[in-house]
Amino acid sequence: MSKDLSDVIGRVLPAPENNLSPEKLEVARKARRSFMGKALAMGAGVAAAAKAGVAAAAEGEDVILKLPEHTTGLGLPVAMNPYGVPSKWEAALQRRESPGLTRVPQASVSFTPLQGLFGIITPSGLHFERHHQGWWDIDPSKHRLMINGLVKRQRVFTMDDLMRLPSVSRIHFIECGANSATEWGNVATSSVQYSHGMLSCSEFTGVLLSTLLDMCGYDKKTAKFILAEGADGSSMTRTIPLENALDDVMVAWGMNGEMLRPENGYPLRLVVPGIQGVSWVKYLRRIEVGDERYAAKDEAVHYIDHMPDGTHRQYTGVQECKSVITTPSGSQTLLDKGFYNISGLAWSGRGTIKRVDVSVDGGRNWRTARIDGPVLSKALTRFNIDWVWDGKPAILQSRAIDSTGYVQPKMNQLRAVRGTRSVYHQNAIHSWKVAENGEVSNVQVF
Amino acid sequence: MKLKFKLSVAAMALGAAFAGSAMADTKAAMMAMGRDATPAEVKAWDIDVRPDFKGLPKGSGSVAKGESIWEEKCASCHGGFGESNEVFTPIIGGTTKDDIKTGRVKGLEEGKSIVPQKTTIMKVATVSTLFDYINRAMPWNAPKSLSTDEVYSVLAYLLSLADVVPPDHVLSDQNMAQAQARMPNRNGMVFYEPMWKTHGKGDVKNVACMKNCETEVKISSFLPDYAKNAQGNTAEQNRIIGPVRGLDTDKGKSK
Repeated sequence: MSKDLSDVIGRVLPAPENNLSPEKLEVARKARRSFMGKALAMGAGVAAAAKAGVAAAAEGEDVILKLPEHTTGLGLPVAMNPYGVPSKWEAALQRRESPGLTRVPQASVSFTPLQGLFGIITPSGLHFERHHQGWWDIDPSKHRLMINGLVKRQRVFTMDDLMRLPSVSRIHFIECGANSATEWGNVATSSVQYSHGMLSCSEFTGVLLSTLLDMCGYDKKTAKFILAEGADGSSMTRTIPLENALDDVMVAWGMNGEMLRPENGYPLRLVVPGIQGVSWVKYLRRIEVGDERYAAKDEAVHYIDHMPDGTHRQYTGVQECKSVITTPSGSQTLLDKGFYNISGLAWSGRGTIKRVDVSVDGGRNWRTARIDGPVLSKALTRFNIDWVWDGKPAILQSRAIDSTGYVQPKMNQLRAVRGTRSVYHQNAIHSWKVAENGEVSNVQVF
Repeated sequence: MKLKFKLSVAAMALGAAFAGSAMADTKAAMMAMGRDATPAEVKAWDIDVRPDFKGLPKGSGSVAKGESIWEEKCASCHGGFGESNEVFTPIIGGTTKDDIKTGRVKGLEEGKSIVPQKTTIMKVATVSTLFDYINRAMPWNAPKSLSTDEVYSVLAYLLSLADVVPPDHVLSDQNMAQAQARMPNRNGMVFYEPMWKTHGKGDVKNVACMKNCETEVKISSFLPDYAKNAQGNTAEQNRIIGPVRGLDTDKGKSK
């Protein structure tokens, strides 16, 4: 495409695949504000488009009038991609590392591109990653799950055994306890991918842990906790409340209709609905039933909440009610004044989303958003609301309320209780500023 | 005749199964799935060590032996004294003799830290955590390769660096409790049930005001221009169609 196409924005011609610099956007917008400017901009558009062969003169657009190759030629055969891949035009949406956030790529994070996703299900290839000692693609025929501790029969299960058992399929979100951690003190990220992208939602298939515990005859008098352990080098361990283990915790092999991806624990992981991702132990090899908490590294050194008085809260696993606007969001730019559908995600580790309100004036006035997709317990919930952008500065916020009546807090309310030095469980209302030039940026307002 | 009789018995048995206890049979068949774990298998995998030292294997190791293992297998990532902040966050530093007395690390209070970054020993309350983690996950590129006595030795060396044990100490399953009693932040953890239970209620409250809500609408923090490209050019991280485009942050940077 011709570079000159970037002189044109908005309705005159939809912006092409090349992106507009802030300077060029401003030039074009200023031009369109006056009649003369508009004429100039249109002229420029037509000239540029003619060079690029996209649009033509008065009778209409070239893309309609001149039939393209894909309409006049022969397309590609079936099964050319035995496992389908996204369109080449979608290459921008990838999970990405945040440069400088971690120093070792095997103990690191990649973030889900929430800014470009729809609905509530995260495509499996875009599910965020968090590894503690690198990932593996384990031979599933050699994988075993052991259950020991306070049980009548210490048992070993193959994948064959597990996959013959009664299974359930449930949609749940998984959020890292450190999601949005960078924003505890100040704004530190450019986009929602990095501020909220340690968040995904999938349909998981597996056997309820309660089924397995019953099969092993767990000791109903003494059992209080479950220890889950991974088979990878870190052999991650986490203490899970027995209450959760008997309620909705799953030992899962399926994710979005296929097996788990290796980066997400293939062939077996724990699903602990509502609880931070670190508890969803990947490459799950062992469940121990016990009567005391285990103080594992990731519940005694990390994933603990540093409080203002210098103490740490330990075993704080719940991901409380939270929401964020994903479109428009940080580091995006609006194409033009006029109608927009503000869209975002809401979720709660304590139940369902009851309501989401949206403000476009920094929290002074709120309107209730539409929720017209699935509303499931401990799952992402999509909200939408109409908005007409008048070209003036705006500050967009969303505020979720869950089925317990809990209202997502403002950042100053969160800080008043938890201080600013915590890393984990930051669930404050998030603000995006829309500038006059259409640029959306990450700000803190309360 | 004989065959006929057998068949009818089989048919009767089948009928009884269907009519009587189909549910019970299903349950019994399901309960039979999997197999018993052998004692050797449980021993091979059940390596966790709890704060009450359940699971702690018999063994011992000296600070001196730990120092030589440390030099060989640990120092390149963690620094000679567990102080390095190069590859991983520091393990040792930031605690005082007074902290060992009180069991609360003063440096965790606002503005009181004596080191630039929180260290492991400032935070961890339970010595079992350190044993368990070194034993299961270290060294970084060869986890579970240390013998039990080597784990005791490495832990003894680390604890000596934080003055939890003296330089001539031999740490063992017999005296771990004494080390626990000197952990600098042993009284620094709080259990807060509402954040442990999914059925709990949180500690931060907001109310859902709808109109003319009291708020200053003051921007208290924003991303400075120079940082806009810190996570890459966002123009390349957004779709090429739709209501928005990614901002070209590369050009913003060169401005």
